[in-house]
Amino acid sequence: MTRMDELKKTFFVESNEQLEAMETGLTDLREGSGSDDTINAVFRAVHSIKGGAGIFGYERLVEFSHVFETVLDAIRHGSLAAAPDVIDVLFAANDMLTDLVESARSDVNLPLDYEADCRVFLERLTGKSPAIGAGAGEAEMAAPADFDGIDFTPVRAEDFNAQDENLPEQFFEQVAPAGTDAAFDETADAAKNARIDGIAKAVTTTIRVDLDRIDRMVNMVGELVIAEAMLSEIVQELPEDTSNRLWKTFDEVVHHTRELKNSVMAMRAQPVKSVFQRMTRLVRELSAKTGKKVHLEMVGENTEVDKTIIECLSDPLVHIIRNSIDHGIESPADRAARGKNETGTVRLSADQRGGRIVIEVSDDGAGINCERVLKKAREKGLVDAGASLSEDEINNLIFLPGFSTVETASEISGRGVGMDVVRRNILDIGGRILLKSVPGQGMTIQLALPLTLAVMDGMIIRVGNETFVLPISAIVECLRPNNADVRNLLGTRGTLQLRDAIVPLVNLTDLLQVESVAQAASDGVVIIVETSDGVRLGLMADELCGHQQIVIKSIEENYHCVAGIAAATILGNGCVAFILDIEKLPELAQEAESQLRSANPQNIRSAAA
Amino acid sequence: MPNAAALKVLIVDDQYSVRQVTRMALEEIGVRHILESEDGKAAFEMVSAQPLDLIISDYNMPVMDGLDLLRAVRGRPAVRKLPFILLTGRGDRELVVKAAQAGVNNYLIKPFTAAILRTKIEQVMGKLS
Repeated sequence: MTRMDELKKTFFVESNEQLEAMETGLTDLREGSGSDDTINAVFRAVHSIKGGAGIFGYERLVEFSHVFETVLDAIRHGSLAAAPDVIDVLFAANDMLTDLVESARSDVNLPLDYEADCRVFLERLTGKSPAIGAGAGEAEMAAPADFDGIDFTPVRAEDFNAQDENLPEQFFEQVAPAGTDAAFDETADAAKNARIDGIAKAVTTTIRVDLDRIDRMVNMVGELVIAEAMLSEIVQELPEDTSNRLWKTFDEVVHHTRELKNSVMAMRAQPVKSVFQRMTRLVRELSAKTGKKVHLEMVGENTEVDKTIIECLSDPLVHIIRNSIDHGIESPADRAARGKNETGTVRLSADQRGGRIVIEVSDDGAGINCERVLKKAREKGLVDAGASLSEDEINNLIFLPGFSTVETASEISGRGVGMDVVRRNILDIGGRILLKSVPGQGMTIQLALPLTLAVMDGMIIRVGNETFVLPISAIVECLRPNNADVRNLLGTRGTLQLRDAIVPLVNLTDLLQVESVAQAASDGVVIIVETSDGVRLGLMADELCGHQQIVIKSIEENYHCVAGIAAATILGNGCVAFILDIEKLPELAQEAESQLRSANPQNIRSAAA
Repeated sequence: MPNAAALKVLIVDDQYSVRQVTRMALEEIGVRHILESEDGKAAFEMVSAQPLDLIISDYNMPVMDGLDLLRAVRGRPAVRKLPFILLTGRGDRELVVKAAQAGVNNYLIKPFTAAILRTKIEQVMGKLS
């Protein structure tokens, strides 16, 4: 090993220390326990890596740390606030730098655009693209001896003696500050200009807008959608010759409102990449902690979703991935023994399907160990000793509150979060969670999320004198049943024979305590809905009133959480209507039924007789 | 004509690896008396304590950075004429302007070869023998 090789090794040891210091500093910043010194220390760490990388000719490392350092410099000089989203980018950059150092150390080439996105994120923060000198990727190019464009003349030590007295002025004359700045901008070579142009364009096509402003706009569009619905009701009541002319224009208004709504929603949309990127760090840490080799693969990270949904996504993903690595991926030795690649893969993908975004976390680990899960569930009294469950049902036990394996509890101690919370979080934002597991081959958890939380497609129904809204996405079909298909097996709660299946009926009149005229199911309409768990219910309503874009208004903010009601909205006629919480309905129906049963035991007997 | 072998040079950088690479380059051009310091403050103490012929200093260091070291040196009459070469990275143009204003003699961009280092020193000290 030559002396130079030895020094390179030293450089990598130093760099790893710097990277550790950066991580600690960033964590302090995120937790708010950092001071001015913290950001200075992080800046210095990056700068040191840059300096060392420079001396050993690792151009790519120099390039990236330079961009990174520019952002840190802006923070330490107060021109950029260390807001949480900024710190997220810094963490991502930290990971990226770690990767680049590792790639330089191991001499394994990363894809050329590997750090490109992270770079763009960093550059967006400062709103400028720091030019460094030469294009990226020219690792072995000859070192330039001078900066071109700087009016700098080396000062001879002898001259120094001669002009001893007016020393500072001499230097001001040599480098005229005003002229020099201009020279910096204009004297770059063509290749550099092209690159800067590219970056400059990327910068000028984006602007930073306060989220509040966009939210206000979303709100206004919501009001517009409501006003439009009201207007359409009025137009309907007009004499036909007037309304015909009005309709033409009105259709256009409807069209534009929809476009406007979509554009505003798109403004709030962000690529899921920001969340996905955070997972690289998690995987790295977990694989270090568990001694398992894990490769994280990401697909579709440019898929865009509403910012609110992105914010809700981070925690569930962390837990799912944690679960995958803790319990799914086997140790390298186990994997080798099973003929698998020693390195396990966790695949994170995002895709827009229909009106939803589908996020999948899959691994090629051991899958769910049904026996172990069932045993654990029995021990914890979550399942009756005698109950026989299908494989699917066993798999879904991990989502039950109170089901949390010992290892999980210690791993995320202090947070007390299990898969049941993940499920709850996803359901809370109107998402669905699905699990597929193949023993020995791995498992997949699929999250299907709404694209936005502000507006949805709703079906308006009438129950008695009340109007309710159902999310269209939950509706399977609507029908007017034949008397023969409706059976009142238990006397209180009916069932509907729907082709091959039997669907329990839910009487919304009873459930929501509203007065209704229709008494039998066959008098009204039955709406078949499906919860995210795949439970089907037939909701009995008096009338379907139509389909409308619904602006969601939270009732929890102004009132409090009401079981069975997800939110409220304002209809075209100006009335407030409640949006039903489909996920809660089966539970409510069950409760209502058992209450009825205990109140009227003879009902059941007479029905059974 | 200064004799390289007679020069006393101080290298200031917080990174050991960078100091060593700089030392190797200096040795290659015949410099024998090489001192090292990890930060500006310690370097300034060394500058004050003994006669030196040249400082080669990095900019970014804990405690006291290279620019402050330069200003400190230029501010002390006994050592204010000490030749000073600043080590810079490829993106540090603004830094060179600031250093020039503070009275730096020359700058050296990383990475550098022994030949470039020699040129940079000769631009300040005259041809080395």
